[in-house]
Amino acid sequence: MVRRILALGGHDFTSRPPDRAVSELMLRLATERAGRRPKICILPTASGDTSDQIGRFYASFGERPCEPSDLSLFRLGRRPMALRDHLLEQDLIYVGGGSLVNLLAVWEAHEIGAIVALAWRQGIVLAGQSAGAMCWFEAGITKSSGKPLAAAGLGLLHGSLCVHYNNEPERRAAYLEAVSEGMPGGYGLDDYAGLLWEGEGTPSAFTARRGARAYRVAVNGTGVVESPLPARFLPAPAPAALREDIAEFRRITAMRKGAGWLG
Amino acid sequence: MPPRPGRDGPLRRPGQATVGTVHTGEGASPNFGRLYKPAERSAVDYWVMKTLPRQIVAFGGGGFSMESGNPLLDDYVLGLSPAERPRVCFLPSASGDADHYIVRFYRAFSADRCEASHISLFRREQGPADLRRHLLSQDLIYVGGGSVISLLGVWRAHGIDEILREAWEAGVVLCGLSAGSLCWFADAVTGFHGEPQRVEGLGLLPFSNCVHYERDSKRRTSYHAFLREGMRAGYAAEDGAALHFTGTELSRVIASRPAARGYRLDVAGRRVVEMRIATTYLGENSTATALPIPEALSTAVAA
Repeated sequence: MVRRILALGGHDFTSRPPDRAVSELMLRLATERAGRRPKICILPTASGDTSDQIGRFYASFGERPCEPSDLSLFRLGRRPMALRDHLLEQDLIYVGGGSLVNLLAVWEAHEIGAIVALAWRQGIVLAGQSAGAMCWFEAGITKSSGKPLAAAGLGLLHGSLCVHYNNEPERRAAYLEAVSEGMPGGYGLDDYAGLLWEGEGTPSAFTARRGARAYRVAVNGTGVVESPLPARFLPAPAPAALREDIAEFRRITAMRKGAGWLG
Repeated sequence: MPPRPGRDGPLRRPGQATVGTVHTGEGASPNFGRLYKPAERSAVDYWVMKTLPRQIVAFGGGGFSMESGNPLLDDYVLGLSPAERPRVCFLPSASGDADHYIVRFYRAFSADRCEASHISLFRREQGPADLRRHLLSQDLIYVGGGSVISLLGVWRAHGIDEILREAWEAGVVLCGLSAGSLCWFADAVTGFHGEPQRVEGLGLLPFSNCVHYERDSKRRTSYHAFLREGMRAGYAAEDGAALHFTGTELSRVIASRPAARGYRLDVAGRRVVEMRIATTYLGENSTATALPIPEALSTAVAA
């Protein structure tokens, strides 16, 4: 089973091209795993399960060929769910941004950490942005308590991650300092830059927006070194409405050909 | 600002005696403790004491979260503070710091009668930087409902559990409904996540607790089952009823609805003993203060 993790430095679920590109990548990874219409579940725990985050997720995936769902631990009162069963039947589990400290604390209380680790070993794609990306690493830089501080993650991936890298200079500064003081090195991801782990070995980097970069951050003899990683550009798919128009045009063309109308 | 008792003075140590003699109720069992206090004690004499007593008011359900238009329980907890404009901090952690809930809190605890604030642990960058200092400076800490499991997880991550114990010992009144009631006890029955389950709370009160304790509820059945399986004895409250503890002893049961009651639960052998506790209705004609004496005794036969 190929273990896949998609870590994103920052994105949103809007109709803007870079956001569409990221959503499309997730849909593709989920479909590859499913071999059919995939199931995609958002864990919005880090935000406190805000309607806003959940709503945007559904707005992005609701009209696409997949079965989206949300597992809101703070809302189980109104909608009880079998946590383990639901998560293990997904093709992709997406973790939203927010407070990394709260995310891990609530997961620990509900024993979600072991379930997502099992999901990962079973080949279910794990994805997330911001806190939802750092949680897979040994450590990250969180602003859960206000100012940027180092915090531990689940440790499925070796090393550390710092998100919103050049977008939040104080976070990057805190990361470089933490690494110089002994935090394991790792990666820095700008908003709209991402890393994809597929199986063992090194991840592949991509960007969905020009200028967004992924960095390897490591300590050598002279200090902490940041090196930009070669990244593939992820083009945005055509908007949904346009995609349907194209499909309609192709259907009509095929019909006409079939009928011999076009000679 | 003049020094305020219990806050600026030396901190109370747990187990330190409170004023007044404590009477042992009939039927008190070794694993349960004492049941009620003598009549001469009332809420108003607290402020003349050198140190404030430790107080927790645990609502079975009610207050602004559940009883729109019925402020009786909220008024009661505000009234426990001698301050003219008590400082009240809302902890909505169990709801994931839901915005609509925070707004409702500020509506209910308006600025003309208290100094209200809230702490959102999901948006720490917006609130007070020093959580301990903020919480210890309150007169009342009000915990909202939601998921008690998530609540405890988030509190522990931010060290709120330790701060609340300190606040309680310093005389800050702690209260809350539902998850905000369960959290104070050693053992709790939560029904939030579907089938009722046992949860270990902060343990400030060495009892078990069950909220929304309605006649035909699953929570009630499950609570009885847990007691038979060895869960420690404790207290339950119906929606609209609240258990007021001074120290770790129940000092009274109050209610915002005439029929709402609190219960004491104990185990005798394999039988669950459920006692309804005399309850003071806070609404009209509520002059008499009921002692928290069991007024009826029913024995639930082991299933």
